Amino acid sequence: MKKTLDCKDVLENLSCYVDGDGSTELREALEEHIAHCRRCRVIVDTTKRTLKIVLDVDPFEVPLAVSARLYTRLQGVLSEDRTVS
Amino acid sequence: MQKNELPNQRVPGEDDLILVGHVLAGDRTAFESLVRRHERRVYRVTIAVLGNAEDAEEAMQDTFVKAYRHLGQFRRESKFTTWLTRIAINEAIQKRQGRRDFISLDESRGASELSMPWRTESWRSDPEKVYGKQELRRIVEAEIQRLPPIYREAFVLRDIEEMTAEEAAEAIGITVEALKSRLLRARLMVREALAASLQEPPTLGKRILHTAEGIGISVAVRLMRAVRREV
Repeated sequence: MKKTLDCKDVLENLSCYVDGDGSTELREALEEHIAHCRRCRVIVDTTKRTLKIVLDVDPFEVPLAVSARLYTRLQGVLSEDRTVS
Repeated sequence: MQKNELPNQRVPGEDDLILVGHVLAGDRTAFESLVRRHERRVYRVTIAVLGNAEDAEEAMQDTFVKAYRHLGQFRRESKFTTWLTRIAINEAIQKRQGRRDFISLDESRGASELSMPWRTESWRSDPEKVYGKQELRRIVEAEIQRLPPIYREAFVLRDIEEMTAEEAAEAIGITVEALKSRLLRARLMVREALAASLQEPPTLGKRILHTAEGIGISVAVRLMRAVRREV
């Protein structure tokens, strides 16, 4: 008999589910619970959307000034150092 | 510089090894190409550990200086990105430990039981139209910076840098299990935080429905009848 999963099982396996990992059996059991549970459906859907939004907005760009200061410092180091160990 | 420009990610990691070879053979401009390829990742990693841009900048510079001076010690057993990320994490951690306001987060707290998320309204369908990409980026960055450091590291490496769980665990120096546990908590925290800005305001009907789900339909029906009698 198939194991019935509850909301806590969905939460514990959330990463695995949204990453598309895990056995077919586990995924089917999770899907069965999600189909009947509005709360878990929202949590799964909004977690997927969270990850998509984070990638879409492309956070923490290197500011141009920061990049310029990095190259200035490295130029100094590269011209001083004769060898790399 | 131009001669070292290589097409991006032809075979992941292969171009890095070619450039490392050039640098070790004495071609210093090849190191600049390595920096261009990885400055963004190193910056994000140092922000992940330190949580603020000023410290991250210094740690990023120190990372590349150290990587250049110790390039001969790169053994090619792991990918160059993993090796470099490891240096960046160590540099940032050293800086963090020297900071007076740093409070270390006990690992056992990270392993505490998961609590059910409490913001469970569905979200607006088009957050970028509501906020605009710049504003949404500002919200996302602020919420990631608010995460406890051990969760922030896991989240940035896995969900922004898109490293595999194994690579991220190796770079941080923890087990894959620990990485996955931190990542799940981080994802739930970011989701919960974004929900505050992105979830739809509940209608009265939905609020009653959710109350009913929470306390049981029969109790809710009795409650509503009681309210009606009072009115």
